[in-house]
Formats: sequence, structure tokens, C-alpha cells
Amino acid sequence: MNSLSIIYLSYMFIALYMLFFFLILFVRNRKELLNYPVAEKDYSYSISVLTPAYNEEDSIEDTIKAALSSEYPIKEMIVIDDGSKDKTAEIVKRLMKQYSNLKLLPKENSGKADSLNQGIKIAKGELIAVVDSDSYPEKDSIKKMVGFFNDLKVGAVTCSVLVKHRNTFLEKLQVMEYAIIAWTRKLLGYIDGIWATPGPLALYRKNVLLEVGGFDRNNITEDIEITWHIISRGYKIEMCLPARVYSIAPKKLSYFIKQRIRWDIGGLQCINKYKSLFLKRGALGLFIIPFFAISIFLGLVGVGVFFYLAIRNLISSFFYTNYTLEAGTSFLALEDLAITPTILNFFGIVLFILGLLFTIFSLMSMKEGQFKGFRNVFNLIFYSIVYLTIYPLILVIAIGKMIKYKIQHKKIGWGTK
Amino acid sequence: MFNSQKNVFWQALLLTIFIFSIGILLGFSLENWRTSQISSLYQQSELELLDIKIQSEIYLSYDIDCNTAISENINFADRIYNEAKVLQKYEDSNRLTDSITLQHKKYDLLRTQFWLNSIKIKEKCNASYQNIVYLYDYNNPSLEIKAKQQVFSNLLGEIKYDKKDEIMLIPIAGDNNLSSVNLLMEKYNIKQENLPIVLIDEKIKIYDLETKEQIEKFLQ
Repeated sequence: MNSLSIIYLSYMFIALYMLFFFLILFVRNRKELLNYPVAEKDYSYSISVLTPAYNEEDSIEDTIKAALSSEYPIKEMIVIDDGSKDKTAEIVKRLMKQYSNLKLLPKENSGKADSLNQGIKIAKGELIAVVDSDSYPEKDSIKKMVGFFNDLKVGAVTCSVLVKHRNTFLEKLQVMEYAIIAWTRKLLGYIDGIWATPGPLALYRKNVLLEVGGFDRNNITEDIEITWHIISRGYKIEMCLPARVYSIAPKKLSYFIKQRIRWDIGGLQCINKYKSLFLKRGALGLFIIPFFAISIFLGLVGVGVFFYLAIRNLISSFFYTNYTLEAGTSFLALEDLAITPTILNFFGIVLFILGLLFTIFSLMSMKEGQFKGFRNVFNLIFYSIVYLTIYPLILVIAIGKMIKYKIQHKKIGWGTK
Repeated sequence: MFNSQKNVFWQALLLTIFIFSIGILLGFSLENWRTSQISSLYQQSELELLDIKIQSEIYLSYDIDCNTAISENINFADRIYNEAKVLQKYEDSNRLTDSITLQHKKYDLLRTQFWLNSIKIKEKCNASYQNIVYLYDYNNPSLEIKAKQQVFSNLLGEIKYDKKDEIMLIPIAGDNNLSSVNLLMEKYNIKQENLPIVLIDEKIKIYDLETKEQIEKFLQ
């Protein structure tokens, strides 16, 4: 057996393992996926909503209205204006006349993490709900999430982040991606493996946030970092699947790539910060960090193999074309069309079908199916074959950028605006 | 460490090992089946070659018309040429086992025997067919040599298609460390580092790719 076959088989083994891993988690917990504990006492926790905003004039009004229409009483909503140059502050001020619990905290631009930290300082609620300025929680989302805090070990609760606008092809692909992420995150919750509390909507105990010193200003995915930090202190993270928040996903490919690079760099920063916990202490050291590290390793090896084969095929094709032209013979013989499948082809087909079923099943569970018509089938297949293979390439770019910034001693920014 | 569901890791691992092992076993079975297919084709070809060889001996010993021998020889050449293509396909698609490599060596010997027999019949019967022996690099061809061999193979396939019974196309791996093949290569002054090479009627050696028309000129 050659080394490439061994690499292929190893990848297939890992992919199959992950599929079965999620399948078993699902089968064991299928009856309670959509359950959530009811708060011990009605409105027992006071909640402050924090929304950092930088140039969000297009979305801030709807975000405020969505957050303040929550069925769970909101003690206060603080919009932290991170030095916006547009009409964000004006819009908030106008809405403050309509909502007595809406507050504006103007400040110089210092980034999202610092904005949140300044908001935490003045927030009066026992729970802090972080809501991104381009996200729209459903009315009952916070109400569904609060009950998880009955368990005093719970430090934060996340929910299903779904795509708000679903018009462009890229948005439709992200609809699938977000739904699958939410579904798998819920399953990971059963092994204490939730590794992020995404910014669109997350609830935190204020005293836990204070205990960990707030959000890390030096990390560009502060929502991943804070989660790891909270777990490292022995708290649990819960996921409330039926609680939903809708967020605006990138419409353009360039924004999408920038966003993913940011996510990857943030993940790498987290690994770097918490590397001392690798294979130590609890779910963070024994599952989350190894899971991230292995994913990165597999992604990089995968990209390496991909480029090795691509270059090899390119060189072969170059020689083949030259010799074919020299000999004046046909490029393709009829026999070349007859394919004799290898065992790797069979494995690949089986994995592809299983992966596709997993995707369809998770989308149906999230009620994000929309499988009517050829277009959606095409989207699904495109998602499974092309979209997911872009991930490792983005990872390579992210690592490259990180090294570049490190060499140039530059601060890594969001890059999406 | 985790809550009560930590055994999911082991359960998933066991299930994966079980299903993966079944897949690997099926893979081995498929590849062994392909090898046995080749093996059975080989046995038939071996028998046929033996028959042809005995026939040749008879023709060589007694002065009788040898049209039948020529025709049998041509049919056999076609047969082993087609089997070589099947062997190549199966070899390319085998990933777990290398049992088929041994079959390749056996076929190389069979084709070498056939080549020798073909020379004999041609001499004895004054046959008009031409022997085209294609000696190629089997074990470690570079990307360039591989591409060259692929084009050589297409080219010879086209010539065989056009000329049909006028030529005997005999592909043999020149680097399989078989003494008989090495001896013949030495006899015709062919070195392994010069592979691939096309040898026409044991006289004309073509090292570089030529057009179909140019090779056909050599055949005339």
C-alpha cells in the first residue's frame, strides 16, 4: 500500500469516526434536543443586553427593536458606540425616547472586546446578554435560555445562530452551514464540548465574566476566547437549540473569506493562549484543544496533499500533452473512459452519501430544509463537495496572515468592514 | 472529565473500527477477486501458449503448411494484448494488495515466450506479420516517462487497430528483473535506462516518440 493510500484511508477513518460520534450523540439524546429547563422562578435573573456597534446605521435599529421585544424582561440595553463615523449614535438616541431601558455608551474606537468590557462595568443585570449589532433574536429566545442558569455551574448559554437574509447563493450556503453548526454544537454540549458562544446572542453570568476579567482585547474572536476562558475556570457552557437568533451573513465572497480568516486566526490565537492546558484538566484540555489542533493538522496535511497531487497532475498533463502533440495521436482513447473503481472510490462514495444524509438530517432537524426544487439539491451538493473543501485553504491563508502580522508586529483586525 | 456521556468516544471508535474493517475486508476481497480473474486468464493463456509452442515444434519438425500456426499465433497475440490491458486496469485500481504485481511478472514471462515463438514461426513459415515488441519501464517511471509511455501505448494501440493481423504487438516490462527478458534485451543491445523502446522485427529500435505515419514507414 503506498503512502497516499494510507493518508486517504486515515482521513476516511477520521471522517467516519466523526459521523458515528455525532450519530451516537444524536441517538442517545434525540428526545431532549429541543428541551430547555424552565427558570426556577419567573424572571429570577435581571438581564442587561450589551450591543457593541461600529458603523451599524443599517442594522442597529432593527437589532434594538428585536432585543427589546424579548418576552423575558430586559432590565437595560446598552449600545456601546465604538467610535462610529456614521449615524449609529443618532439612531440609538432617537430610539432612547421610545425605550426607557435603552442606553448609549459612546466611546473612542477600541474594538469589540474592549467595548463589551466597558459595557460590563456599567451593566446592572445579573446576566449579560451579548447581542451583535447586526443580529436579531427571536422574542422568546432569552426566555428559553435563562432556565439553564438554574445550574450554578453554568457560566454561559449559547443558542442557534441562523442566517437572516437568504437571497444570494453564498447566503443560501451559509444557511446550511449555520444550521449544521447549531445542531452539532448542541450535540457537543452533551460531552461538554461547546467551544464558542457566538456574538449574535449569548448569555453570560456577570460574576463569571468579572471573574475571568472580561473579554480578551488581543483576541479577534473574543466569543471563542471567552468560552475557553470560562470552561478553563470549571464552568459549563450550555446550548439552547430552540432559542434562535438571526444574523446577517456575508453576501460577498471577499467578506466571507475575510470573516473565515478572522475565525481561523482567532482559533489559532486561542490554541496559542491555552496550549498549556493541552491534554490536561477537563473538556477544554482533553477535547476542545485537541479537537482544534487535530482539525488544523488534518486541514494542513489535506491542503498539502491536494497541492502535491494538483502539481503532479499538472506536470503529467504537460508532458502528456507535449508527447501527444509530438506523436499526433489522440488525447483520449475510448478505453480511458472505462473506469475501474478502487476501494478508495467506494469508501469515498459511501462517506459522501453518509455526509450528505447527515447534512440533510441536521437541516431537517433545524427546520432549515427547503429541499424543494433542483436548485436546493444543487446547493446541498455544492455545499458538501465545494464549500467544505474551501475551509482548509482559508486556514492556510489565515496561518500565513498570522505569521505575516507577527513578523510585522501588526495588530490583527476584524477586516470585515 | 466529561459528563456521563464520555463513553460516546469509545462507542464511536468501536463502531468505526467495525465498519471500517468490513470496508477493508471487502476491499481485500475485491482486489483478490481481480487477482484471481487475472490468474484464471493467465492459466488459459499459459495453456494456449503451450499448445502453440507444441504446434510450432511440430511445424518445425515436419514439413507441413503452417498457415494454421500463423493464424493461431496472431489470435494468441491479440488475446494477450487485450489481457495486458485488463491487467493494467486492475493494477491501477488495486490499493490494498500488490498480489497482482506477481501476475504481471508471470505475464511478462508468457509474453517473452510468445515473442520467441513468434520469431521461430516467422522464420520457419516465412510469415508476413511483423513483431512489434514494446519494452517499457514498469517499476519506477518518472512523470515524464509515464506520460511518454502512455502516449506510446495509445500510438501502438492505434497502429494495431489499423494493421490488425499484420502486426504482433507484444508489450513487456523491461525492468522486472527477469533473467530471460534481461538476456533478450542484452542480445538486442537495449539498456534499462533507455526504456521505453519499441523494437520492430528485432531490428529497428525506436526510442523517441514518432508520428503514426513514421512508425508505419518503419513497418513497410
